[in-house]
Amino acid sequence: MSTTTFIRNEDLKGLVADLKAAGVGVAGPARTTDGAVDYRSIDRFEDVVLDAQPRTSLKQFFLPPTEPLFKYRREGSDVAILEMPAVQPPRVIVGARPCDAAAVEILDRVMNWDYKDEPWFARREATTIVAFACPGGDRSCFCTTVGLAPDSTRGSDLLLAPAGDGYVVEVVTPKGQKLLDAFPKRFGAGPGVDATKAYRDKARASVDGHVPGSPEVIRQWVQTHFEDPFWSEIALRCHGCGGCAAVCPTCHCFDIVDEPETLTEGTRRRNWDTCQTALFTVHASGHNPRHDQCGRCRQRVNHKFAIYPSRFNEVLCTGCGRCARVCPAGQDVTEILTRIVAMATGQGGAA
Amino acid sequence: MTELRELARRLLSEGTVNAVLGWEEGPRGARPAFVTDAAGADRLIFDPRCVHNLAAYLSPRRPHLKQLGKVAIVLKPCDAKAVAGLIRETQVPRENVVLIGVRCGGVLADPESTEPLSEATVADRCRGCPDREAKLADHLVGTAGPGFPGPSHRAQKVEELAALPADQRWAFWQAEFEKCVRCHACRQVCPMCFCERCLADKTMPRWIESSPHNRGNFAWHVARAMHLAGRCVDCGECERVCPEGLPLGLLTRKVAQVVADRYDFRPTDDPAVPAPVGTYRMDDPQEFIL
Repeated sequence: MSTTTFIRNEDLKGLVADLKAAGVGVAGPARTTDGAVDYRSIDRFEDVVLDAQPRTSLKQFFLPPTEPLFKYRREGSDVAILEMPAVQPPRVIVGARPCDAAAVEILDRVMNWDYKDEPWFARREATTIVAFACPGGDRSCFCTTVGLAPDSTRGSDLLLAPAGDGYVVEVVTPKGQKLLDAFPKRFGAGPGVDATKAYRDKARASVDGHVPGSPEVIRQWVQTHFEDPFWSEIALRCHGCGGCAAVCPTCHCFDIVDEPETLTEGTRRRNWDTCQTALFTVHASGHNPRHDQCGRCRQRVNHKFAIYPSRFNEVLCTGCGRCARVCPAGQDVTEILTRIVAMATGQGGAA
Repeated sequence: MTELRELARRLLSEGTVNAVLGWEEGPRGARPAFVTDAAGADRLIFDPRCVHNLAAYLSPRRPHLKQLGKVAIVLKPCDAKAVAGLIRETQVPRENVVLIGVRCGGVLADPESTEPLSEATVADRCRGCPDREAKLADHLVGTAGPGFPGPSHRAQKVEELAALPADQRWAFWQAEFEKCVRCHACRQVCPMCFCERCLADKTMPRWIESSPHNRGNFAWHVARAMHLAGRCVDCGECERVCPEGLPLGLLTRKVAQVVADRYDFRPTDDPAVPAPVGTYRMDDPQEFIL
């Protein structure tokens, strides 16, 4: 689909109000109590902040940090299972970053691989993603290296880019069209996509070239250098805090726990997990195949740039740069990838 | 900086140590550096962006750092308190590490900052800090600025919270804990969290629920704060690292105040000062024992 339309700034405010009035949940990037910007529920479009990358990604709306899978109750020698609701309430995310929208679609692959992850897809179906073309990033952004761009439509239902007194709206999916059809008065004639070219070009220039080379070059090096001393070297500064995984739009590993609440009842939950901790791989015997941080740092790069691409033909990274921004020890994915590219292309890689 | 680099170069070339842990210029500001040869000593920097508490790297919970062999570590006066804590709690033999103290008049809140150090940009924990050099250090380098007057905003916030009725204080922490995703980054960067197997990771039985709901989060953050009673050196790393922006320093600060008031213990870089948790005195307050 490639039809376009236009929405004026005033109508954008009105659209959010219309959605709220229709009982649809709306979320977008807004200020948190500590002054940061993060995706959260909003009451009005005026609270949306578009000029800062949200602290965390959209992942939380589809894979919450914790979610009940079912409740259980022991009844004599039987166990009764109380299923969670299979249908999720409708929600529109207004002001998603294109990199975050793309991440959700990249994750659809693994979520529908050996089984269909019902909670994930229930939320996917209930959610419409209205992305805004990114105004540009900082030195840790590298979406263009992994096949995306500040104005990628991937994973979005609508993509908006600023022009004149509003936004040019690209209709990306039938779900996006449905949103248009539900509130037709909010959309109308205006400038075309050409009017957003300067904005898009500027954004692209701000992220281009931060990681030279291609994902394929990275994949080949990573696959053939499992024991390279490079991994031990980069792991030195890593605290194994997993902050990178918490803010990552594509890190999706989870743990499943049963939590008793009374003597006979409890809840099975799934919670975010991260390969950066020792506990992630420790066996019941006590043996840990990833016995120190070197193997864990390697795993993060390996999964994103070799394992996932080999299995799904997708890089498990959107180049959003959050892991570099959040790292308390200054670990920087652009530096790691740049060095890998240099080693792969025979230009050395020493620090 | 020349003095620091000269010293590091000498320690490495004479073979006194195999590596020097300090700071370097990274892609996003200052960051921890691991210098393993004399030629690399010129990478070392020290300026107000060097906010990280490198003492965490001495913790025995980081087996991958054993590959470095004997190390020297660059310390601000506050970081030295964490090293003293590790020595006091028999985690690091004093003779196994060379301590390079850098004189310090406060650091910035953010290692990426490009602002000069000022009343407006100084890390909150540095407000009112009286320490300019680590007494524990084997070598001292650099010069210190005059420091910044207290009290810190954090200390003021602790007072404000303490003055609130319990239900409002509860509501404040409920709202904060709501944000926690239980990544445990606060634990991982803490120089004093050195347990081989953390209470929060134990499953038989499960003492602390791992789910990031308010029940699990409350249990985790209170347990963490209590385990740091008389041990936290107020380096602020837990709060700096939190990907969700929880004000964790308020908890540890409050506990530190209680320990100071009741047991007359303040974090110190003297490892010979006994830890309040491991000490019994006849005049310890004990009216809470029924």
